[in-house]
Amino acid sequence: MNRFVTANPSKCIGCRTCEVACALAHSKGAGVEGLAPDSFKPRIRMVKTADVSTAVMCHHCEDAPCVNSCPNNAIVYRQHSVQVEQERCLGCKNCVLACPFGVMDVVTVPAVRQFAGMTLSLGVKAQAHKCDLCVDRESGPACVSVCPTSALTLMDRDAMDETLRRRRERAAQEAAEVAA
Amino acid sequence: MEKHMAVCPYCGTGCKLNLLVEGGKVVGAEPLNGVTNEGELCLKGYFGYDFINDTKILTPRLRNPMLRRSRDAAFEAVSWDEAIQYAAKKLGEIKAKYGPDSIMTTGSSRGTGNETNYVMQKFTRAVLGTNNVDNCARVCHGPSVAGLQVTLGNGAMSNSIPEIENTKCVLVFGYNVADSHPVIAKRIIRAKERGAKIIVCDPRKIETARLADLWLPLNNGSNMALVNAFANILINEGLYDKEYVANHTEGFDEYRKIVEKYTPEYAEAITGLPADDIREAMRIYAAAPSATILWGMGVTQWGQGVDVVKGLSGLALLTGNLGRPNVGVGPVRGQNNVQGSCDMGVLPTEFPGYQKVTDPEIRDKFAKAWGVPSLPGEIGYRLTDVPHLAETGKLKAMYVMGEDPAQTEPDLTQVRKGFEAMEFVIVQDIFMTKTAMFADLILPATSWGEHEGVFSAADRSFQRFTKAVDAKGDVKHDWEIISLLATAMGYPMHYNNTKEIWDELRGLCPIFYGATYEKMEGLGAVPWPCRDLDSPGSKYLYEGNVFQRPGGKGLLFATEWRPPQDKLNDEFPLILCTVREVGHYSCRSMTGNCAALQTLADEPGYVTINPKDAKALGIRDQELVWVSSRRGKVISRASVTDRTNKGAVYMTYQWWIGACNELTIHAVDPIAKTPEYKYAAVRVEAIADQVWAENYVQQEYAKLKGGLSKAVTGAAKKAPAYA
Ligand code: SF4
Ligand code: SF4
Ligand code: SF4
Repeated sequence: MNRFVTANPSKCIGCRTCEVACALAHSKGAGVEGLAPDSFKPRIRMVKTADVSTAVMCHHCEDAPCVNSCPNNAIVYRQHSVQVEQERCLGCKNCVLACPFGVMDVVTVPAVRQFAGMTLSLGVKAQAHKCDLCVDRESGPACVSVCPTSALTLMDRDAMDETLRRRRERAAQEAAEVAA
Repeated sequence: MEKHMAVCPYCGTGCKLNLLVEGGKVVGAEPLNGVTNEGELCLKGYFGYDFINDTKILTPRLRNPMLRRSRDAAFEAVSWDEAIQYAAKKLGEIKAKYGPDSIMTTGSSRGTGNETNYVMQKFTRAVLGTNNVDNCARVCHGPSVAGLQVTLGNGAMSNSIPEIENTKCVLVFGYNVADSHPVIAKRIIRAKERGAKIIVCDPRKIETARLADLWLPLNNGSNMALVNAFANILINEGLYDKEYVANHTEGFDEYRKIVEKYTPEYAEAITGLPADDIREAMRIYAAAPSATILWGMGVTQWGQGVDVVKGLSGLALLTGNLGRPNVGVGPVRGQNNVQGSCDMGVLPTEFPGYQKVTDPEIRDKFAKAWGVPSLPGEIGYRLTDVPHLAETGKLKAMYVMGEDPAQTEPDLTQVRKGFEAMEFVIVQDIFMTKTAMFADLILPATSWGEHEGVFSAADRSFQRFTKAVDAKGDVKHDWEIISLLATAMGYPMHYNNTKEIWDELRGLCPIFYGATYEKMEGLGAVPWPCRDLDSPGSKYLYEGNVFQRPGGKGLLFATEWRPPQDKLNDEFPLILCTVREVGHYSCRSMTGNCAALQTLADEPGYVTINPKDAKALGIRDQELVWVSSRRGKVISRASVTDRTNKGAVYMTYQWWIGACNELTIHAVDPIAKTPEYKYAAVRVEAIADQVWAENYVQQEYAKLKGGLSKAVTGAAKKAPAYA
């Protein structure tokens, strides 16, 4: 099973700590001082409607519409997750339209190449941009670790089984109560 | 990488954290397992440290003492020696000419710490000879202190923060915990998971309202009517604890008479709430085996704040929810050390440790300890009196430390006139602020992260914080600056470190005496009262239901509801209520200089408005709009949301361009003198030319930032050779 981060709307307080942690986890070590409104592109987004506050991000689907829609096979299953091979991304936005959760985006980043000790600018490069589960981060998903109300959890097979077990138990309990 | 233990400077939760330091620069923050935060931090705690590094995003750090010899001159950097001599001479002259009561000082409820506040009030009382010292509790939880001191005898939270998650009912009244104290919000969520019922009284659908079992969206300005109706139900439905009331309270008969009229049906007309919902709330509250009331600015920032505080404490008394674990009343302090500045006697009425200035024995004790023949016994001025006192010539000089009244006080036009009318203004701060622009003398202090000390968390816990980095520039610790000034004015004052100050004040305050630095080592927290060296302190107050009042009983108090003071009419048909948001703190001089926090929200800030009101005014989401009141006009950005109730708009108070305090009214509570920030009549207007409006905001913002930064760089350029 692919792993993914889930948010519990009955715990989320809409504070956006997760957004900042996500952006920082992908800042290549630039730290907070590198953050600015124009370049702020967290892969998790807090959404607030009249009745709900919660964070939304990639579900790392098992039969992922984004994977299926990519004409250049840039999106792959790897390390129990859905990952983008950025070198292959064309920026065609098929995946953006395919994702039913609205959590895939295409962004452009400055493209550079190192040549003979010099940095050459190659214009811009498109990137399909979404939660990568912080696979390169030793301590795991940054968002999960900072959420002040523990609204976020990393679901893997074990966590999922545990949740299912609890739900079934509760259902059995409720059925018994109805019968009684 | 080095790690230095600190306490977060952004709210009264008092979260313990490590500042991560690399090459003399703070590069990160990580949570510690402190008593109140248990390994959590919020947005500001995690990402609110880079202001220390002088990012200059909003306004620059101060690096030198700066003086201007006339108000139309530019600031020039001067030596400490010159700055202190100048201040001593000026204050001395003003004191000699107009008397000690013509001078006022402020403590700071922010990053400076308790020791500095102690030294500031000592300077004010022993050196200047006046009780004119106050702090910004005046504009926030002043009514909680005033109200609870009367009814229960102690102005602080009765129970500790960790106990919240073990209570069986939380009544949240006018308190947006998610935005004000995210880490306390977690406690409420946990309480709910453990089966507690959550009741929320707030006109807006705040986050806690969304999670509540029962949400009472009362009309803005109807608090007292609702609280009286609550009491009416508890009494008339026989839900109150008769034995507790008989044994531990007084004033019941009078109380009953006043609330008699406030039947739920009567209150329905004022609060706009269905009578049955009001009943339901009290049935839940009374049925819980333990219940906690938490409140914030939605209770206190009103012309009737003190009364409502007393009323809320009455509910706890009626149901016996005091004097044991997991119950109580909780005025949850907003600023990180506003509890501390009150503890330290930065109040015109009290010496440190809540000892009255009007008590001759107490005065003698302090006079003796401080080596002066006598101390003033007259209650001093309040912060909110300042503009009026200055304009009428009673106040001639002001020494503002670590506060920005030209941003945070109501009706800023009046505030500015007040500062202009004064003969001499000293501002001691870490940043160039709007208030500093009115100063004659600016004294640069070390920041949180650059000094150590003790903060008081909202639940009375003393906790130590340490220094992480050396300060840059020609700056000094706040308490050192005050000591130098005292010495220059003929009162030799010298401390080697904060511990010396702490030990002096412990010795003078019986309720703090046992709270030693040693006990607060590491993650240690000591909640006062802590009278003995072997006591761990008091997690909850009123043990054995003994209240700190003559006779030991709690006072039941009610009074008639009074409508808010500003009046709506056709010209100003909407209510403006000022609030806060999670990512920014106080006047924003700190968080506005933090890249992450500034990335999430920037000028001119938002005015939130209900979709129906917005539609009627032709305003779309995210458009710039004008907001005006009888007192001023500012530009802001509309955030159209169903969470805001119809008929009211909300602005957060930290924006410098969209400054809502240009609009608020200087109408204060008669006892606490806290302004009615929560109710001003305003008009919101669409702006047809949005391109012009966006440019206008950018220009104004650039002008403001440019002015602040020029004041500092200009002075530094002129700095003489020593600098
Ligand atoms: S950090 Fe947690 S509480 Fe805050 S917005 Fe994200 S999910 Fe919600
Ligand atoms: S797991 Fe990592 S990449 Fe995914 S949303 Fe969280 S912080 Fe961002
Ligand atoms: S602002 Fe308050 S809740 Fe947030 S980390 Fe700081 S002390 Fe804790």
